[in-house]
Amino acid sequence: MQDFKYSWLVTIALVLTAVIVPLLYFLPEREAITDDPWAGMPQHLPHTDHSALMKGPFADGPSVTRACLECHQKSAEEVLQSVHWTWESPPVEIAGRPQPVILGKKFAVNNFCIGIGSNWPACTSCHAGYGWTDGTFDFSKSENIDCLVCHDNSSLYVKTKGGYPADGVDLLAAAKSVGQPTRANCGGCHFRGGGGNAVKHGDLDESLYYPVDRVDVHMGKHDFLCTDCHQTQHHDIKGRAISVSLDDANQVYCTDCHSESLHADERITAHVQTVACQTCHIPEGAIKEATKMHWDWSAAGQDRAEDPHTYLKKKGEFVYEKGFAPEYFWYNGLADHYVLGDKIIAKEVTFINRPRGSIEDLDSKIWPFKVHRGKQVYDKKYHYLLQPKTYGEGGYWSEFDWDIALRLGSDAVDLPYSGEYDFTSTEMFWPTTPMVQAAGKALQCIDCHGKTGNGRFDWQALGYEGDPMYRGGRQTVSNVKTAEVK
Amino acid sequence: MKARERTSEMYSVSRSKLSIISSTLGVLLSICSALIAQDSHSIHPTFPFLDKNNRNVLSSGQAVSTMNSCGACHDTGYIESHSFHVDLGLREFGKSGKTKGGRPWDLSPGLFGKWSPNIYRTLAPKDEQQIDLGTADWVRIFGARHVGGGPAVRSRDGQRLTSLEISAADSETLSRNPETDELEAWDWQKSGLVEMNCFLCHLSNPNNEARITELQSGNFELGNTATLLGTGLVEKKEEGWRWNSTAFDQSGNVKSDFLTPQNPDDNNCGLCHGLTSVDRETPLVTNGCEPGYWSTETTGQIISPQRLMDSGVNLAGKKDLSRSWDIHSERLLECVDCHFSVNNPIYYQESEASRPAHLKFDARRMDLKDYLIRPSHQFAKGRASQAAGLNATIGSCESCHEATAIHDWLPYKERHFNALSCESCHIPKLHAPARQVYDWTVVTPEGKPRLECRGIEGEPGSSRALITGFEPVLLPRREVDGGTRLAPYNLITSWYWVHGETPRPVRLQDLQDIYLDEENYHQEVIALLDTNSDRTLSDDELVLNTAGKSDVIKKRLEALGLQNVRIMGEIEPFGIHHNVTHGDWALKECTACHSDESRVNRPFILSDHHPKGVEPRFVWANDIVLNGKIEEHGQGALVYKPASRSGSLFILGHDRIPWLHWAGFSSFILVMIGIVVHGGVRVVMARRNRPNHVSVKRVYMYTAYERFWHWLQALAIIALILTGLVIHSPLTFKFLDFESAVSIHNIVGFILLANAFLAAFYHIAGGQIQQYLPEPKGFFSQAIQQTIFYMRGIFKSEAHPFEKNPQKKLNPLQKITYLMILNVLLPVQVLSGIVIWGAQRWPSLTANLGGLPVLIPLHSLAAWLFAAFLIVHIYLTTTGHTPTSNIKAMIVGWDEVVLHKQNRSSK
Repeated sequence: MQDFKYSWLVTIALVLTAVIVPLLYFLPEREAITDDPWAGMPQHLPHTDHSALMKGPFADGPSVTRACLECHQKSAEEVLQSVHWTWESPPVEIAGRPQPVILGKKFAVNNFCIGIGSNWPACTSCHAGYGWTDGTFDFSKSENIDCLVCHDNSSLYVKTKGGYPADGVDLLAAAKSVGQPTRANCGGCHFRGGGGNAVKHGDLDESLYYPVDRVDVHMGKHDFLCTDCHQTQHHDIKGRAISVSLDDANQVYCTDCHSESLHADERITAHVQTVACQTCHIPEGAIKEATKMHWDWSAAGQDRAEDPHTYLKKKGEFVYEKGFAPEYFWYNGLADHYVLGDKIIAKEVTFINRPRGSIEDLDSKIWPFKVHRGKQVYDKKYHYLLQPKTYGEGGYWSEFDWDIALRLGSDAVDLPYSGEYDFTSTEMFWPTTPMVQAAGKALQCIDCHGKTGNGRFDWQALGYEGDPMYRGGRQTVSNVKTAEVK
Repeated sequence: MKARERTSEMYSVSRSKLSIISSTLGVLLSICSALIAQDSHSIHPTFPFLDKNNRNVLSSGQAVSTMNSCGACHDTGYIESHSFHVDLGLREFGKSGKTKGGRPWDLSPGLFGKWSPNIYRTLAPKDEQQIDLGTADWVRIFGARHVGGGPAVRSRDGQRLTSLEISAADSETLSRNPETDELEAWDWQKSGLVEMNCFLCHLSNPNNEARITELQSGNFELGNTATLLGTGLVEKKEEGWRWNSTAFDQSGNVKSDFLTPQNPDDNNCGLCHGLTSVDRETPLVTNGCEPGYWSTETTGQIISPQRLMDSGVNLAGKKDLSRSWDIHSERLLECVDCHFSVNNPIYYQESEASRPAHLKFDARRMDLKDYLIRPSHQFAKGRASQAAGLNATIGSCESCHEATAIHDWLPYKERHFNALSCESCHIPKLHAPARQVYDWTVVTPEGKPRLECRGIEGEPGSSRALITGFEPVLLPRREVDGGTRLAPYNLITSWYWVHGETPRPVRLQDLQDIYLDEENYHQEVIALLDTNSDRTLSDDELVLNTAGKSDVIKKRLEALGLQNVRIMGEIEPFGIHHNVTHGDWALKECTACHSDESRVNRPFILSDHHPKGVEPRFVWANDIVLNGKIEEHGQGALVYKPASRSGSLFILGHDRIPWLHWAGFSSFILVMIGIVVHGGVRVVMARRNRPNHVSVKRVYMYTAYERFWHWLQALAIIALILTGLVIHSPLTFKFLDFESAVSIHNIVGFILLANAFLAAFYHIAGGQIQQYLPEPKGFFSQAIQQTIFYMRGIFKSEAHPFEKNPQKKLNPLQKITYLMILNVLLPVQVLSGIVIWGAQRWPSLTANLGGLPVLIPLHSLAAWLFAAFLIVHIYLTTTGHTPTSNIKAMIVGWDEVVLHKQNRSSK
């Protein structure tokens, strides 16, 4: 030891160990960061500049697609499987129905423009393809894929009826500009759902192109793109909507990035098992642009003063609302869907996609919804909702004759029409998820609770005995109910 | 089992019967639900309004008597006699000892008798010669903040005021005519009495303005009726108040649509107490520094669940203020949830004195019916100076909160809880202006005092002024559990003229007379105060800031015949307990208190101007330890500088004993200078005298363990000195945060202790200890020899007088130094450190050793000595064979020892 040349190194190591080990052991632990939402963000790799690669000239959309596919062969196969192309959900077994159900935009009924059957060219102007103008469209033909609608970065690409590029669109410029989808690519269709800005969703509208912090904390303050949350792999885009989807596979969740236990406040943490993040963090919908809350088709066809926000002869009466207070329901991520042909009780309200869940269903939480209430046409004899042809030759929008429109529409969707029709009330549910507010703008206790509360929640309708602050929450309610049964 | 039988019975009932039953039930249910829906806000039955003669007001047309109407079911006599809100000090009026710590002319601890610089008027005792305010005028002026009953019904000796013999010389039966300024007899029969006003607190929409208007007009009996204006029950017509017969049903009862008694909500309390709003949506606004609400004016407290950023107040930094005005209000607590009736069976708890120790909760409760008949209207409260009999009926924050369960991040939790009230950290700032000064030495043209406000920039009366808010002053408060803790306060300073041997404030009328001629200042006053000679008095000029100005005003007052006129100043503390915020916004920064800029003794502005030579005295500060100092700051401003070092409090990072601090620091610097001089001379001399050739020998001087021990000690001491510096002065040394510095310092201290123990064992067991023991024989001469070497021989490159070898490593000076360091300094440092560290674990041990105020300075002094030793020690390592040979030896163990001649020859 005495002659060991590096004994001094050993001494230093021992001394440091003697200090550092106790320090590490005894130093009090600081509050660990439980939430690192940025870890969930996708990396945006720089996109290859295609301006030199796309030579042109391009006579039409498919010729651009062919050029794309020269290099991106696999992409075609991926897109042909995707719902943005098929507008069709995979078959899902649903209790009470003999056969697996297929839904998706292609078959779904709603209480806006009702459905796409017989109205293809108008609806398919938002289809990620070219030429879907009737029931015979070939979904296996990859050259009809519209690559540009999602990848054009020139902002000059516009689609029109049947999904064709509008006249005068510079396809070469669009092709040279291709890149990752921006807000403009997604927003071009999704912000204009229902046929115009802000009509349909209540939480998606053109204010999200360049949103201020107040509209959406993610897209505003943090400058998110749609695809930062709707992350996409192999053209499979994350996200589900109960207007068209039957299952909740591949859904986007707040908890993809945020920890469930991120609230320092125990009182708030206690809410997390019962209340969706959205409930407190989306206190209002349609923050900047009014959205359609009510649509009465039965008033259509009259020669009255028209205003796109109150009355159109083609469509009937509307009510638009800005900054609406959501309605709250238990929701486990799934919904009971109305499928074309399902029987209805005309005197009662028909729910197109009533959210599933209840106070007893521990998988469900209280969620905020935009509820779109409508009056739409149904068959008086067969007792089901009908599909009218609205757009095109013989359609209601040109003839203003429901009978003709219903005959043509029913033929297209293969649903018998008795010749007798009337109007019935329907409700459609839209869970609000974008337009998220930071903590400082989230709901407070008084918004839902208390003697002088603002009464956002109808506690008894939700299955509580009353305000759970006074009467106990889910657990107490089930205890009380169990006691009653015994 | 039973339930199942009943179910099967149900099924046996035939279908037709079932349908009848169900339809009947349905009808019944719908009726019930309709009834419930209609009356969902109240289950209070309808009842008639009775006048003071117990006749229905509909037939008599008289004012309503709440005592009779509500008293038909509730024991209003009991309620009236169990309510400080009613009594306001009447019962304690003029009793000796009840105004302890108050002003000489305070007559009770309540609004009836306690002088208020806000309203200024002085209630006269019975035998007062010069009467400012009699009982009737008190009702007219103070009735706005009195619920009625008590002093508005009964005389000071308990008779009904209507039964008193009327005399213009008796303060209970006179009034001053505002027109003539003459005292006139007051006819209580004519004015009637102000009965306890149940409506003010128990209706959702009481009309306080109409009530105050009637009281101010002297129509006392109509006050309670006027409170109903706007309900539809009563209207005010030219000829007087008229009952609306359609609001009453056929039996003469008030229809429930018109009157629904309720539990008092925050707005009821707010009518008198402060600005409240339970509405989160409508932006809350304040009127600058003139909120017109009592507690909001005195303390800046606002009760609302609203977020500050959502309010309408022009707050500085508003967009980031996402906290609410009050966390309890945000969490939906109402005033009465904490300030509950003390006999409310929901809250009632038997006192500790009689409750058996094994019983946590006595489930026996008063019947709700009995409570509703005789509910005490004494409300649980903290410890404001009013209603002292109810002090601490709320207990404290700990009555509801388990603070120790959640403050895990806070080191020395118990010590903090023993030194600080919860409010100190959880009310870090009031985001509203509050009163700073009432200066009645001057009056404005409106006859009001000069006002100062804190927490506001710009024109105080304007809602456009910027509200910066203020951090309350932390004062040591004696608490119920016997402890003294810092708690937040606002201090309101008042200046005013008094006269007489037993001082009384100069009457408002006299004051206005000497300043004002109608609504304009007297020319003499303008000439006195107009500093910029524009013949008008601006707000800045209206102040008596020189002895000369005060003298002139004094003479004018004396000219009115007043004797012994002088200015008095007072400071009244107002405790702040509301506008609490939760952890996110609470004070969490260690350096908020543990630094030179500690909040604990930050000067708190008392008054921007003050009359020369007048020192304000604290009033109604009985619970507060007044150990601070009133100091003058800048141009005439006064501040209160609290003392942080009180009792056992000695705040690390902030408190220090200056002379000791400087003594330590200068001795360190002196040692540094000495070393630089000594070293410099050595370098210069070394160049002149080439060293003699000496022979050296490699000797294995330090064993591995000795080296380990030495370096561990070195590292520990350096770490302790560095972290100690941060703890000593965190704002000067910012390389580490205070909290980490404390933790590291504690841990390393124990490492040092463990190292010292092991080394002591090693040295004793191996006999090495004797190296440190100076030989008594010849020690002094050897020490002198060594000293002479350091002062002379070392410069001549002479050899050390004592040869170093593994058996005798230390020279005599080293021996004595290390003996002192290791046996005196190190133990002092380690032991004082342990006791400081253990102040939370063994508080009595620490206290017995002098407490932190002794131990911490001792620890700091020893640290300076260590630092001084450290640099001398390092310097002396350079005096070996070569400058680095000693350090090398301590690193590798082998030393190059200069052989002395005698040894050389012997080898």
